[in-house]
Amino acid sequence: MADGNNPAPPPAASPLQSHRYAIKSSAHNTAASRRREQAVAIGKERREALMRAKRVCRTPLSGSNESAIEDGDMVIDDEKEGLETRTAQAVQELKSSLSSQGKGAQKKKIEALRALRRLLSQSEVPPIEVAIKAGAVPLLVQFLSFGSSDEQLLETAWCLTNIAAGQPEETKTLLPALPLLIAHLGEKSSTLVAEQCAWAVGNVAGEGSDLRSTLLAQGALLPLARLMLSNKGSTARTAAWALSNLIKGPDPKAVNELIKIEGVLNAIIRDLEKADEELATEVAWVVVYLSALSEKAISLIVRSHVPQLLIARLLASENLQLLIPVLRGLGNLVAGDGYMVDSVLIVGHSITDQALSSLIKCLKSDNRVLRKEASWALSNIAAGSFEHKKLIFTSEATPLLIHLLTSAQFDIRKEAAYTLGNLCVVSAGSTDPPNIITEHLASIINGGALPGFVNLVRSADIESARLGLQFLELVMRGYPNGQGPALVERQDGIDAMERFQFHENEAMRNMANGLVDKYFGEDYGLE
Amino acid sequence: MDITQVLLAAQSADANLRAAAEANIKQFQEQNLPSFLLSLSAELSSDERPPESRRLAGIILKNSLDAKDSAQKELLIQQWVSLDPSVKLKIKDSLLVTLGSSVADARQTSSQVIAKVASIEIPRREWQDLIAKLLGNMTQQGASAPLKQATLEALGYVCEEIPPEHLVQDQVNAVLTAVVQGMNQTELSSEVRLAAVKALYNALDFAESNFANEMERTFIMKVICDTAVSKEEEIRQAAYECLVAIASTYYVHLSPYMQTIFNLTANAVKGDEEPVALQAVEFWSTICEEEIELQEEYEGSDDANSTVNYRFIEKALPSLVPMLLETLLKQEEDQEQDDNAWNISMSGGTCLGLIARTVGDAIVPLVMPFVEANITKPDWRCREAATFAFGSILDGPSLEKLAPLVQAGLDFLLNTMNDPNSQVKDTTAWTLGRVFELLHSPCSSNPIISNANLPRIMTVLLESSKDVPNVAEKVCGAIYFLAQGYEDAEAVSSLLTPYLPNVIAALLTAADRGDMTHIRLRSSAYEALNEIVRVSNIPETASIIGQLLQEIMRRLNLTFDRQIYTSGDKEKQSDLQALLCGVLQVIIQKLSSSDAKSIIAQTADQLMLLFLRVFACHSATVHEEAMLAIGALAYATGPDFVKYMPEFFKYLEAGLQNYEEYQVCSISVGVVGDICRALEDKILPFCDGIMTVLLKDLSNSQLNRSVKPPIFSCFGDIALAIGENFEKYLPYAMPMLQGAAELLVVLDQSDEDMVDYGNQLRRGIFEAYSGILQGIKGAKAQLMIPYAGHLLQFTEAVYKDSSRDESVTKAAVAVLGDLADTLGPISKDLFKSHLFHVEFLRECQDMDDEVRDTASWTQGMINQAIVS
Repeated sequence: MADGNNPAPPPAASPLQSHRYAIKSSAHNTAASRRREQAVAIGKERREALMRAKRVCRTPLSGSNESAIEDGDMVIDDEKEGLETRTAQAVQELKSSLSSQGKGAQKKKIEALRALRRLLSQSEVPPIEVAIKAGAVPLLVQFLSFGSSDEQLLETAWCLTNIAAGQPEETKTLLPALPLLIAHLGEKSSTLVAEQCAWAVGNVAGEGSDLRSTLLAQGALLPLARLMLSNKGSTARTAAWALSNLIKGPDPKAVNELIKIEGVLNAIIRDLEKADEELATEVAWVVVYLSALSEKAISLIVRSHVPQLLIARLLASENLQLLIPVLRGLGNLVAGDGYMVDSVLIVGHSITDQALSSLIKCLKSDNRVLRKEASWALSNIAAGSFEHKKLIFTSEATPLLIHLLTSAQFDIRKEAAYTLGNLCVVSAGSTDPPNIITEHLASIINGGALPGFVNLVRSADIESARLGLQFLELVMRGYPNGQGPALVERQDGIDAMERFQFHENEAMRNMANGLVDKYFGEDYGLE
Repeated sequence: MDITQVLLAAQSADANLRAAAEANIKQFQEQNLPSFLLSLSAELSSDERPPESRRLAGIILKNSLDAKDSAQKELLIQQWVSLDPSVKLKIKDSLLVTLGSSVADARQTSSQVIAKVASIEIPRREWQDLIAKLLGNMTQQGASAPLKQATLEALGYVCEEIPPEHLVQDQVNAVLTAVVQGMNQTELSSEVRLAAVKALYNALDFAESNFANEMERTFIMKVICDTAVSKEEEIRQAAYECLVAIASTYYVHLSPYMQTIFNLTANAVKGDEEPVALQAVEFWSTICEEEIELQEEYEGSDDANSTVNYRFIEKALPSLVPMLLETLLKQEEDQEQDDNAWNISMSGGTCLGLIARTVGDAIVPLVMPFVEANITKPDWRCREAATFAFGSILDGPSLEKLAPLVQAGLDFLLNTMNDPNSQVKDTTAWTLGRVFELLHSPCSSNPIISNANLPRIMTVLLESSKDVPNVAEKVCGAIYFLAQGYEDAEAVSSLLTPYLPNVIAALLTAADRGDMTHIRLRSSAYEALNEIVRVSNIPETASIIGQLLQEIMRRLNLTFDRQIYTSGDKEKQSDLQALLCGVLQVIIQKLSSSDAKSIIAQTADQLMLLFLRVFACHSATVHEEAMLAIGALAYATGPDFVKYMPEFFKYLEAGLQNYEEYQVCSISVGVVGDICRALEDKILPFCDGIMTVLLKDLSNSQLNRSVKPPIFSCFGDIALAIGENFEKYLPYAMPMLQGAAELLVVLDQSDEDMVDYGNQLRRGIFEAYSGILQGIKGAKAQLMIPYAGHLLQFTEAVYKDSSRDESVTKAAVAVLGDLADTLGPISKDLFKSHLFHVEFLRECQDMDDEVRDTASWTQGMINQAIVS
């Protein structure tokens, strides 16, 4: 009965117990609630800013050079002109916003930056040139000064990212911005700012080796490498992408330094093992350049868990973006260090079977690059021990390779030919000609490979032609029961070889003439 | 059990007796509710029983039908509904009989209980003969005055309790008939007439169709106008209250009666008792509000709808303004000392201000002669009235009209700060504040405040800040508005920099002076200080603000040493801490968004220690202002804030569970967002706790609904911070989002507040989805597949709903992009089977930059998902 003894007064029928708000009143009532509303609004603004940053347009990413989706909007001249006028205006706004100070000015700065960024990212043909001519770059450099708000840095870096994506001479105008962009990659920056700066740096690095050298000289490598160690997926991914652009070479110095940075190899392993495919893709590109340019790096990588992880990715994924760098990296490793075939891909170990299955999968792919890279990787494995050759020979790979040799594009045919050739011989020592594995040779010829090789002989490419000739020599020398020459003749091989009779390349000329003389000389056909 | 004895014992002075009686009552109630209620109604109706027991019986009966707590109320309603009909009938009959009792208390209590029963039964289409029975009481031959009075009160309460749509027109007519009969001048009892006018006030909302009918309307208006000149002051006041209500509810029907009403109100304002005169002024204030709203609604459009604006104020202006100016001269002595003072001069000035907003420039020539004639008169009342009139009309007329007057008069006003009369100074300081608030824009070509007069303004303000507390308080207000003028013009805010040390010192002194006795002065001084800090030009004022920071911290520290003896002491300590935390929040905010960030980094430990001590002072509630300050601190310190989390967490948790003070809860939710952005994945160890409380909040029906949208947004904040770790919360959070989305379908679209709330809720839901999608994006993106279909359906429903506002549109468009971005090619089929996005995105091309920007991004994301 809590209510019983203290009854509430009856509701008054009279309505106006309280009067209206007096016009003459203290400021503090509204002031306090206004202040609290502002404090709450700031939080909302920051959420918005964070989401905007998350929604940065990601399309130009990835070393795979896949072009972004085009939405088919033609830029009409009028539109273009309007866009250019607006861009010049936006740069002017940017300039005037710099001269004001304080908090309202901060808002103005952000708005000016955002307006310019929109213009630079909206159209198919962004008005980069106009922006540069209007003087955007030096202004943007000022906006990168230390102590600026995160959102300001973010918008600025975004503008710079878009400019960096332009024509090479446009990208070069960014030189004055590079030191500050690199500075904001560091640990003191918020991850979003660092990520966006990595983006800009990545675009610049992608432009050419001169800009890469500049970036490296200014110390971009270490902070990017550290950024790649981040636990945050998008950050690691952007950093890896930018890194792969930065270390493309041709100077191997950057790669040699990168592999020495503590944690880098572990981060690569972590991401190849666990990360989503987008991140794994960018990391795989880093592996590609590491393994293409540095023996030191290869030697460390082949002794790590990386080969296993690349093979696993190759088997598990159907994503072309990912498969290409993974396969190329694996190919580089197989080609780059004998340890790979001798001590990692040991026949009888399951890793070797997985590697073979993954390569076979790629041979079957619709994608030309995958078929070619897989053939190339296989050719290097096929150059290994007799056991390796036997393993490949007895697998599904052989018929696939024969098929490629006879029907695929030229560059794939060549890689397939190398592999098939390697399957048929085993090294007999440094000086002697290789020993023929008769069983393999016969089976491959019977499988229909010979016309493919004869075609190679006809090729204008000397290397391919030599490959073809070498194989014909094997056939004529090693095919059981001396039936080789007849098989070659039946495939118009003689005609193909005689084309070299007066060839300008002496070695080829001698080789072809020697073979014709030896196998189709005076005694031919008498037996 | 003798119910009478128990009811009397329950009111005994002896605590033991009381406790036993209460236990008895409770037992009875629980054992046999029908018999309990019957006994109570019998007790209430029986004239043989003592008034004390009857009154308590009535109150308990009333409390058995209604409660403040909505869940409890629902329970009581169900209890009543499920009673045996015969029991209910008996009780109701007994209540009706009691209306005729000779004991006033019993009659009045009974009329209230009748209204409670009616509020349950009439919406259920029960007790349909109640109104007829009450009307019968009024019309029966020889009905006693007390019966009629109680009957009219019952009618008034009934109308107050139930929404208009639940009475059919016949019943409304019956109510009005009864009421008008009671108001008739031939009715001899003034109590009956007063009850009738008050009942009419409550019945006005029901009378829509009666007001649409000219004959009935004119009849009702005539009765009210007649009543407005009754002999009894209280009845006249009630009649004017009816006119005020009619002014806002039936503005469209008022035209034919305005001349009569003007004459009535003019007489009342001039010569009637103050309570009546106040209502007469209130009538015109209400008309102003109606016309201001109409102007805002139809601004710039000349369509036929705008004819509904009769421009009564404009037409009455030449007589209305002098009438109100006269009221300004009727000040009370020392009215400024009383926070709640409300008298004819104050209401007159307020009405004048509303008129200025209604008619703009036209008021100026009508007021200025009065100002000029009175401002130098020896009688302080004349000077005060003149200044008040001037200050009242500054909002409304154009800048062109006012600027010359203000330019010419500013110096005079500044001089008047030396007036011998403090009421004159008080109003002058307020007028200066109004000038600064409304007309001071430093970036205009001819600013009111310039380098030329700023030194003098500052000298006067600083000097006057030492005046008596009420004057000093208005001076603080003037400083507040002076500073606020520089809000968006910091390029020129360095104009203030030279004065900063003295202004800060003066405000701190003023705050000290107001500390114990003049709370308003203290609050105004600190708020002015906040505004000064907010607009200050940071590179050049960083060190001054840094010193102020130290001083405010020192002051906050002192609050912990206060002697706390009473709850009043506690409240005072708490109020002061709130103000100081407010200043700290502003300083942290200001410095952390500038180069001077390091000042905050260096003081963060001390600041946090202070805030934690503030929390510790208030075991039950969490200090709103300290919460906000901590939000600012989290942003300023970034990931380093994690070291404060173990200690702070319990207070955060308490804040998130503060259902009663929902503002605290709401602010705490916002602070979770701040902390998420500061800590990113370092917040993970605390997320279980936070999510648990947030989910509990969402399922709590007592929590003010306005907190729920921010909670959804907060889910998004958390997901953004912890990324795929949000996985474990999906099974709890997603059903909440889906449930809220379904709730939106049944919101009442005719209620403006509900439409507004619906939009907040939508935005909250979208922000949650966006945050979760962007957070989970990556290796575990497929976790979101099961929710994608529902999200698309919801978004489509929102797209098709015309009540969505632009912020909802943007959030909806963005979430589509987030979905495509996160799910990538997996979302291909979904987007192909929900094609509304094509049209939606196209529409966005005609909207503002931000929406367009978002829409283009979303378009790109969807294209990518569909093409790949």
